Amino acid sequence: MRDNAVDWHNLMLRWEGLNDHGFNAASNIINIRRFQSDQRLLPDESAPPPPPSSEAADLQDECCKLQEVVNKMVVVVTKMERLMTSQRGIQDLEEFQFGPEGRKLPLFHSWSFKQFEQVSGLLLDSFRQELDLKKRILQEVAHTATPDLCIVFLSCWLQQPYLTPHCRLNLEALLLETGHRAL
Amino acid sequence: MSKPILLSLHQGLRKSFQSLENNQKVWESVLADCIPLMVSLGNLAEQSRALSNIQISNTPLRDFPDLEERLRFKLQLSTDTVLEKLNLNMSSLQSVRDSVTNQVSAVVQLYEQNADSLDLLTVTERSSTGPSVSDMLEWLVNAERHFRQQYLRRKTLLQTLRPDDLSLLESAPKRWKSLESPSAEDEIRDTLCKVHFFIESQ
Repeated sequence: MRDNAVDWHNLMLRWEGLNDHGFNAASNIINIRRFQSDQRLLPDESAPPPPPSSEAADLQDECCKLQEVVNKMVVVVTKMERLMTSQRGIQDLEEFQFGPEGRKLPLFHSWSFKQFEQVSGLLLDSFRQELDLKKRILQEVAHTATPDLCIVFLSCWLQQPYLTPHCRLNLEALLLETGHRAL
Repeated sequence: MSKPILLSLHQGLRKSFQSLENNQKVWESVLADCIPLMVSLGNLAEQSRALSNIQISNTPLRDFPDLEERLRFKLQLSTDTVLEKLNLNMSSLQSVRDSVTNQVSAVVQLYEQNADSLDLLTVTERSSTGPSVSDMLEWLVNAERHFRQQYLRRKTLLQTLRPDDLSLLESAPKRWKSLESPSAEDEIRDTLCKVHFFIESQ
């Protein structure tokens, strides 16, 4: 259980790092797109139809980067799911040993097994939803022409609307309960 | 008979300029910290504006539950954090202003109390290492006024901001920048150069 808490912490840290990388890639994509549409608007009679330019290659490049980030995020969430499974496994074992009510004394400070499960469940759900949002942004970000929508995509990526302050609090509570943070 | 008074006046001026020098450094570094905060404030306002301009239900994000509320909440939260940091910086600016004001008014008071016993020549006479007392008092008073005005203007700007008034938030970084007064800052730096030998001489 203690190790699980540490894993949660590390996975969330890793997610934040990935989020920063992804944000850079996403804003590059949007800048390139903006540049391209600006160029198209310029009156340019003499020039032949533009050949596949270096921007297109850059765009492809940045999209690949973003794809990579999202792939890594999928891995993070898969690991979180594994944590949840191990959590359930421990709980089943517990029920087998102590019956459906669980043990009388708390394992660490005050939480029952149920509370551990609730916290892990909440974290997992938040990250799953956030991951879905990221996947959608990945699909759409390079095909969007409206500047406002572009900003909203970036804003969603940066602000992570499904990871509420509640998640952070829960993680801290988990670390506190398992004694990783001093009382 | 004016000699001991002149000495204590010089001592007071020296202390004031030393404190002005330190406070000036603090002031500059706090203002430098405010710049990125102001930029994020403008960015957050831009994000909120973009969110208001689009209909989530007409976008590829339509199937995400309460996305708009959640995003708005997070934006609000970040805006609050930034404003809080700015307000903290304002209290640092305030303490700089207070310290300069106290120091300067003390030395001005000292002068006023003894003005009768100081003749015009003593007050206006300068030497090879030090400017005249009257010049130095004037510089101090000018510097003090600069900090007082700057603090008030910036504080007023921050106090008029409201998290729900996007246009105010959007224009805030620009207005913040327009409050800069490089000439006054230069003047203070200039003053500090001019009194350098005077501070060193004991």
